[in-house]
Amino acid sequence: MKRVYRKAISLLIVLLCVVVWEAAFQAKLLNSIIFGSPSLIWKAIRVDGLTFLQAMQITTFEVVVAIMISWSFGIAFGVLAGAYDFAGRVFAPFVSALIACPLVVLYPILMAWLGIGPVSKIAFGVLLGAFPIMQSTMVGVQAIDQGYMTMAKAMGASSFQRLSQVMVPLALPSVMGGLRLGTSLVIAGVVLTEMLASTDGLGFWISYNRTLFNTGQVYLGIALALVLTAVANAALSSVERRLGRWQALQQEAA
Amino acid sequence: MPALASSRDATPAAISVNGVHKKFDSGATSVQALTDVSFTVATGQFVTVVGPSDCGKSTLLQVLAGLTPASAGTVLLDGEPVTAPRPDKIGIVFQEAWLLPWKTALENVEFPLSLRGVRKAEQRPRAEAQLALVGLADAAGRYPHELSGGMKQRVAIARGLVQQPSVLLMDEPFASLDEQSRTRMGADLLGIWERTGRTIVFITHGLTEAIYLADVILVMASKPGRIVDRIPVPLARPRTVDMIGSEVFGKLRNRIWHLIAD
Amino acid sequence: MSSNRPTAWLVPACQLGVLALFAGLWEVSSRSGWVNPELLPPLSVVLLILWKLLRDPAFLGDLRVTTAETIVAYLIVAPTGLLLGFFIGERRWLYRATNPILQLLMATPKMIFLPIFILAFGIGFLEKVMFASMVGIFATVIAGIAAVQSVPQGLMRVATAFGATRLQIYTRIYFPAMIPIIIGGMRLGLIFTIFGVLLSEMYAASRGVGQTLFSWGEQTRLAELLAGVLLVVAITVTLDELMRFGERRSRRRRVEA
Repeated sequence: MKRVYRKAISLLIVLLCVVVWEAAFQAKLLNSIIFGSPSLIWKAIRVDGLTFLQAMQITTFEVVVAIMISWSFGIAFGVLAGAYDFAGRVFAPFVSALIACPLVVLYPILMAWLGIGPVSKIAFGVLLGAFPIMQSTMVGVQAIDQGYMTMAKAMGASSFQRLSQVMVPLALPSVMGGLRLGTSLVIAGVVLTEMLASTDGLGFWISYNRTLFNTGQVYLGIALALVLTAVANAALSSVERRLGRWQALQQEAA
Repeated sequence: MPALASSRDATPAAISVNGVHKKFDSGATSVQALTDVSFTVATGQFVTVVGPSDCGKSTLLQVLAGLTPASAGTVLLDGEPVTAPRPDKIGIVFQEAWLLPWKTALENVEFPLSLRGVRKAEQRPRAEAQLALVGLADAAGRYPHELSGGMKQRVAIARGLVQQPSVLLMDEPFASLDEQSRTRMGADLLGIWERTGRTIVFITHGLTEAIYLADVILVMASKPGRIVDRIPVPLARPRTVDMIGSEVFGKLRNRIWHLIAD
Repeated sequence: MSSNRPTAWLVPACQLGVLALFAGLWEVSSRSGWVNPELLPPLSVVLLILWKLLRDPAFLGDLRVTTAETIVAYLIVAPTGLLLGFFIGERRWLYRATNPILQLLMATPKMIFLPIFILAFGIGFLEKVMFASMVGIFATVIAGIAAVQSVPQGLMRVATAFGATRLQIYTRIYFPAMIPIIIGGMRLGLIFTIFGVLLSEMYAASRGVGQTLFSWGEQTRLAELLAGVLLVVAITVTLDELMRFGERRSRRRRVEA
């Protein structure tokens, strides 16, 4: 009952904001080029809706591929670095350093090497997302109780079986945080590089419309990018819920 | 040390430990965990190992299990040297159950079988049989967080037995349970032992538990870790809780206490 | 994690080894032609170019612009963000009201709002500073909140019971507890601010390191580009490590306190 109540209130607040926003626009209270309005966005949908939809398809494709690659690399390397303590200690500062530096400066290099098509976007998205995932996976693996690993060894598990069937599932709940951050960064990375240099994709169309001062389209494009982020987060949440149940309850029971 | 005949026939030794030493080297320091440990365990015997905190009991179990190699000496199981875990011949139960939290009790018991690639259809009945043996047939679908400590250990025992090993090694399996659970589990364990005829090596802190369960007690001392005595238990089977209060029991307990305390 | 004395040097040695391997592979693969030397000039050439760049007035001018933008943005991000965070953190009702919004904003990729900042401020120093501040301030606000909330209430009560004065409570309990978190937030804030400055320069600017690197990329002038990238990476990693060091030191003091 309470959750429905809270969601209803959130929805009301959102609606209120939309109404106020539109009212401010109509009353010419704010500079419409900067602040836009719901009606401008609606107009943008009617004029350029199809273009943006197609652009979103391209961006989504790039994001999905980048997510798959960054998750695989991030988790694989994170598991290895966490499981093999020495390797982990050697590489941890490198990973921290890569997370610290503004990876955006690597984009011109990718652009020179891979052009301005989807490949360079995907590559950058992977770069941005993989390292936080690697780091959180490593930490998650290192936090595992060694008893599980000894038990698995005693039950006859090979090294690979111990890693894949015991270590990864045990680390997964704490990996989730890194996956969330990494996914958000992947999406940001793809959209931003589309803005910087591209011929298509959400970022490109946002940028292009900005040069034409089509505020409605700019907001539309950004909103679509946010929708993409929300969908990704929702997917992660549902995965987390299925995994999380046993982990949360186990922590309670402990 | 004379080997008193146990209540079971002393057929060729199931476990034979000869001159085992175990040294741990960690950089600057080195610890002699076990020194010149030798003993035999006959097939079907229930042996307990008792000793003070750092006498190397757990290390001994790790060596017996093949989880860690001995620095010197050999461990033979039915004549074959033990160098790596052999889940089909050696079952192990630890102090914590370490059940995989995302698997049901049944799936946890199936775990060793799935590691070996046994067909799923074959895994199920074997695992169910073991769960029934430990009295948890109706908890098969429950998850570890829904089980009590004692129940989790029962699942661990079932898991240790699922491959029908000839030997079951147990490292203080009831230590984290309350006393009543411990006593009950001990009695149930004896029941399982009598029904399956496995050879059991049971490590414990508790003198009462050690005497109550065992055919033979190995007493260990620390610094360095070694066996100081091998005591056959002259109590008849099946054991009853009343025996704990008997004079024989008390004398045995004192004897062991002095061996450990001095 | 304690390290045994004989092997304490092994980890740093391996790390140096990794760096050496990386440098070696770069140099060799480029010089021998395994890799197209136009796309990957040898490391030695890149370092030489870097040396030249550091004495090139045009590049130094870019560095000055970027540094200025970063400093100004950080001057907004750090004090404002922290104070705002303290303010919110100290008032339970305010925290509960704003926390969901903050979490939501943290989860969204804020950098994609760059075009709106350009619509608002045009292209120039102000726009870069505003954008970078927006990107960086969340880290410091959240750190400010966490810092205030991290003060163990139990310690407070014990101290007051022992008759500690208000000043003593602030200096001996409040601050030491908060400092590691504050430094951590300032570190993240700096990282995000620098990212924001460079991104906005790459997107649209007439001067600045970001813009220069981007145009080098467009012109496939890899030697200069790689030199510039190495410089940026070196500077930011150094800053990050310094702040991490500060974090660790302050954390140890806190435990002692």
